[in-house]
Amino acid sequence: MSETKIETTVHGMMAEFTTVDSLLSACRRIRDAGYTKTDAYTPFPVHGIDKALGIKPTALPWICLIAGATGTCIALVMQIWMNSIDYKYIISGKPYISLPAFIPVAFELTILLASFGAFFGMWALNGLPKFSNPMFTDPRFDRATDDRFFLYVDASDERYDPSGVRNLLADTGSDYINEVVEDDSPKEVPKPVFLIWGLAVAASLVPLICILTMRVTNSSKPRFHVFFDMDFSPSKDAQQVTSLFADNRAMRSDVPGTVARGQMEESLDMLTGIDVEALTMSDPPRVQRLVRAYMLADDEAKAEEKEAVEAAEAAPASVMDTTPWVEKNPLTVDAELLAQGRQQFEIYCSVCHGMDGYGNGLVARRAQSINAPTWVPPASMHQETLYADKYPDGKLFSTISNGIRKMPGYAGQIKLKDRWAIVAYVRALQKSQNASMDLVPESEKAAVEAAVADVKAELKRQAEEAEKAAAARKQTQS
Amino acid sequence: MSEHAAPAVKPADDPAFQLPASLRGLQMPLLGGGLIALLVGMGMAFAVSDADMPRFGMSAYLVAFLYVLTIVLGCLFFVLIQHLVRAGWSVVVRRVAECMMIMIVPMAFLFLPILFSVFSEGALFVWTDPEFASKLHLNEQMWENKKLFLNAPFFVIRALIYFGIWGALAVYYWRGSVNQDETGERAATDRMQYWSGPAVMAFSLSLTFAAFDWGMSLAPMWFSTMFGVYIFAGGILAAHCVITLLTYLLQRAGALKEEVTPEHYHDLGKYIFGFIVFWTYISFSQYMLIWYGNIPEETEWFYSRQDGGFGYISIGLIFFHWLIPFFGTMSRHVRRRPGMMAFWAAYILVVHFIDIYWIVMPEARVIETHTVPGFGGPLGILASLLCVVGMSTLVIGLVLRVAGGNRVVPVRDPRLRESIIFENI
Amino acid sequence: MSLAIPNGLDNTVERPGERAPLVLGETTYHDITEAVCKVAERPPSKGWIGGFLVAFALLQMLGLLIVYLIYTGVGVWGNRAPIFWGWPIVNFVFWVGIGHAGTLISAILFLFRQEWRTSINRAAEAMTIFAVACAGTFPGIHVGRAWLAFWLAPYPSLNLWMWPQFRSPLLWDVFAVSTYGTVSLLFWYMGMVPDLATFRDRSKNKYRRMAYGILCLGWSGSSRHWMRYEKAYAILAALAAPLVLSVHTIVSFDFAVSQVPGWHTTIFPPYFVAGAIFSGFAMVLTLMVPARKMLNLEKLITIRHLENMCKIILATGSIVGLAYGTEFFIAWYGQVPAEQFAFLNRAFGPYAWAYWTMVSCNVISPQIFWFKKARTTPWIIVVVSIFVNIGMWFERFVIVISSLSRDYLPSAWAYFTPTWVDWGMLIGSFGLFFTLFLLFCRTLPVINMAEVKATLAKQEHMAHLHGHGEEAAEGH
Repeated sequence: MSETKIETTVHGMMAEFTTVDSLLSACRRIRDAGYTKTDAYTPFPVHGIDKALGIKPTALPWICLIAGATGTCIALVMQIWMNSIDYKYIISGKPYISLPAFIPVAFELTILLASFGAFFGMWALNGLPKFSNPMFTDPRFDRATDDRFFLYVDASDERYDPSGVRNLLADTGSDYINEVVEDDSPKEVPKPVFLIWGLAVAASLVPLICILTMRVTNSSKPRFHVFFDMDFSPSKDAQQVTSLFADNRAMRSDVPGTVARGQMEESLDMLTGIDVEALTMSDPPRVQRLVRAYMLADDEAKAEEKEAVEAAEAAPASVMDTTPWVEKNPLTVDAELLAQGRQQFEIYCSVCHGMDGYGNGLVARRAQSINAPTWVPPASMHQETLYADKYPDGKLFSTISNGIRKMPGYAGQIKLKDRWAIVAYVRALQKSQNASMDLVPESEKAAVEAAVADVKAELKRQAEEAEKAAAARKQTQS
Repeated sequence: MSEHAAPAVKPADDPAFQLPASLRGLQMPLLGGGLIALLVGMGMAFAVSDADMPRFGMSAYLVAFLYVLTIVLGCLFFVLIQHLVRAGWSVVVRRVAECMMIMIVPMAFLFLPILFSVFSEGALFVWTDPEFASKLHLNEQMWENKKLFLNAPFFVIRALIYFGIWGALAVYYWRGSVNQDETGERAATDRMQYWSGPAVMAFSLSLTFAAFDWGMSLAPMWFSTMFGVYIFAGGILAAHCVITLLTYLLQRAGALKEEVTPEHYHDLGKYIFGFIVFWTYISFSQYMLIWYGNIPEETEWFYSRQDGGFGYISIGLIFFHWLIPFFGTMSRHVRRRPGMMAFWAAYILVVHFIDIYWIVMPEARVIETHTVPGFGGPLGILASLLCVVGMSTLVIGLVLRVAGGNRVVPVRDPRLRESIIFENI
Repeated sequence: MSLAIPNGLDNTVERPGERAPLVLGETTYHDITEAVCKVAERPPSKGWIGGFLVAFALLQMLGLLIVYLIYTGVGVWGNRAPIFWGWPIVNFVFWVGIGHAGTLISAILFLFRQEWRTSINRAAEAMTIFAVACAGTFPGIHVGRAWLAFWLAPYPSLNLWMWPQFRSPLLWDVFAVSTYGTVSLLFWYMGMVPDLATFRDRSKNKYRRMAYGILCLGWSGSSRHWMRYEKAYAILAALAAPLVLSVHTIVSFDFAVSQVPGWHTTIFPPYFVAGAIFSGFAMVLTLMVPARKMLNLEKLITIRHLENMCKIILATGSIVGLAYGTEFFIAWYGQVPAEQFAFLNRAFGPYAWAYWTMVSCNVISPQIFWFKKARTTPWIIVVVSIFVNIGMWFERFVIVISSLSRDYLPSAWAYFTPTWVDWGMLIGSFGLFFTLFLLFCRTLPVINMAEVKATLAKQEHMAHLHGHGEEAAEGH
């Protein structure tokens, strides 16, 4: 096998060439002579040299393919697991597993891992990094990265024979042929490098040691805060004083024109009985007044303003009522609501308007009986001008709330929903005076008829009793 | 630096540069057969048209027309771009592309039925139906604005402009190349290179708008700025496949045996692979943006392609237009084998048809009532296939006729030699 | 500057059938080594020192501004409701765009066998990495709490107990830009290894030799190594080509997946990519035209190289122009009022000045490259390329600002005004870029020597073959 000189191992034989063509022809000669453990060293890739030397293709593409496929799988599994299994949430209505949205990251990771495969795979297959190489012992080899081409025959080749190789190489036209010997230059690294290395390692440990020290030692000093205002936010508690605002109050009232969440269950329509959207078209200033009055009544100044507005609402400016009233009761009208309305009506309204709404309540009767001079008789609910088609629900509600003529507003006394319940009950009262049997559902008819019969029988009985009583009186008089 | 000596270029009148007699004999059968198939297919397609698919007949024709047109335009672009970048490798296959490119002239005649269809209300494009806006309860003002673009006279004018541009380019480059066969003057190459820049720009602009006109306006309320690029991506991919396939057939028949080498198939294969990726990129981007944005006026188009059998085609395109050919043409071992490349080229030409079919056919349904799009039953599918096979065959027959009168390679192109000895890195 | 070329040959003229030389003069392999190595080996010139000091000062300014920003909060920027993606995102997209030319030249032109790329690819790749570094800075500090930017990474967090949102394009961006930065770095470094070996072998100083020796991993130039190296290079190029397209595509998704009028349009991906290539090439030209003069590299970076880049600028500029037009047409054709408003507002609204700056710089100014005289005159090239840089910055400004400044509700309309911090950061990012670039010029091989030598070898080989061809032709 290899021939050993004194103290140095011979690795092989190299020959220098100055042109690509001379190198290529030398390669072919060497290949045709049967040498297999050969290599060429060139400053740039020479095409055709793999054929000239008989180099086999590399497995690198397969490494890349596998690495890339791994990347795709990792990315898809990661995204599906993270966003669709472990921590589910829906974003912009997309399904948990939204493949189109997972493609970009899958693509990027595929490319990344395939690139790693190509890059690291190439160095691994090439056996690099390898800083020491017997070829480097020859000073002329420095030009292998500049403008010279080297052909090398390894001593371990079966046909290797120093003089034969030398002759063959000389025959190809090389003017510099030399044996490649073991690198016997000093192996140790120069001391300054160690020094710099050591200093760098030491310096890199400093932050780590600092952190560790801070983690394990106790200190009486308070913690150092990098972002002081993030650790201790300058927020104020309720009732505290601040210099930021003219009134020195840290608590602030709502911004004008806004309502805090959850603070307004009812709409302005319901509060006023006016179709505000329609009113916006015809009378914007009034809408602004209403908003200020009803929505912002959170301090005394506003409360006064509210009273003023209520007064204005109570006395319409013109006779022609152009207000777009709410036509329909905003609450769901059912038996329960009517019962509630009846209760409230009988408490608050019946004293003047009477239990049946004919305007013959106790107060009214008393006032009439004493001929009270300033008395305005309460309206009967059963005049046609107060029917729903002429006097909408909203207007009726507004009247209850704000008053009319001598009647005061009841907004302060009757709750909002109760006032609407009263409206519903008044409508029921009105209907009750004009109802016909046709309005009664078939299923109820029998019961109603029975009730009517009962009432009639009762009335008849009373009338008979009254007649009997009258007859008895006549008899006693006579 | 190759070991073998570079081959000499054969003289211009060498039989290797002539259309082989076996192919020459196919001209008339192909022309006749193609015409018959097209007519029979059209007849069947119109028979399938019914209340559910009122535009089926014309749509089947449009599918066939767009299929061939995109390929022809792809070949035109191929020729222009080779001149623009002064490519050397492609000279041996350029004449094949040129023969396809000049087919823009017969394509202009084959466009006539579509041109006339816009004067027949609702025969192909729903926007020609004057009742369309009211049937769909569209905003009238908006529809009026849209009609400024989508109206029959302007449509005709635009079509004339497109064919004018394409025809002028194709004839110019065809003549330049064919005349050079006789004169061999290098200045001809210089001239063609000089005009290739503006030519590519005119081509891109006209292709974009033609795609809007003939593809996008089938669904007149739908819009996508990417649509022109999408049509281009499919066309250029199919064009490379046609070039590969025709070159392979020429070689099988005996021409260009030594001129076209595995190196050229390797390069064509790389382009095919690259354009498969490009098509996927464009179609994915278009779908993803519309899917993610989820705006009704845009999603409508994809929605109708998820209905009925078209949902399977949509999914199928992912596999058959991307995954399978992507892995199929990935390896250099495949790309360097002409037979394998010819197979994949033929495969993609089939898939390209499905892509065009998928673009056009769902719009043949009754749009007003949101009918599920259909294929027209077995007869409808057969009709669609007959149309496209007929038109393709017809065009191939014409290509053979044109090629028969000329040489199958630009024999005196100054770069022919460079192309013959070309090697991949 | 004249067109005079050392050997009297104008290599911008290419007779069909012949290939004009890419390396001029009676150049040998050794001349190439000398020309490139000298750039880093000779003592720095006054111009270099001056330029470095200016750039370094600007970099310090950027650093201080970032400290100021982090300490004070993002309110120091001009970003106000509704324009929360103000200046920093404009800068981000601008720099990412610049960062596209390098990998494009290295990867895509490599795949297209455009050999003229060999003289410029190294510098362009370096530019890519530095531009990506500049780009990465902006979203990093734009997140507000910059010290928590690592929350974007999908790591098993012990205090958040949650994962990032993979259905968001902003997260795709994180993956795209970081993948792009990493792969570009690998590509750049791998391409440099043989040249670093040349540096090693020329080093007289022991430590310099050791440093370059470690950096080049013990490269010896073995043919087996070259074979795998070339394969790996081709694979990386094939991977980087779709990657480079995907990066700006995903940046465009940041905008296009939203429903903001003027952002949601399907042409964005290819249009952004074309714009990125456009701006990247402009930046390469802006740097390379003066650099080739100052570093005496005119034989290697010839007028033909510049002319080819001008043609790419013309082509991509026209694609961008076509996209502007298509957007406008579809905004009208689609008949969606919000879209129509967004586009009219761009062109004729309060930002009309920015829009028309963009159009004149991006679409109109490159049209001068239809004339060969303009493509081969270095000063015109520099002027136009600077215009294009400005125009492309404005393109991002127009897209980001004009669409955001007009929300659906007129009550949420605003006009963006940058603060001094915005300006300082934009200028400072150029400081970062030029500091890195100038350091690169002095320490690493600015031209890919191995590839240029291979080009020279091929050039000689082709000339040799062509000689045969001529003889053969004459024989007929």
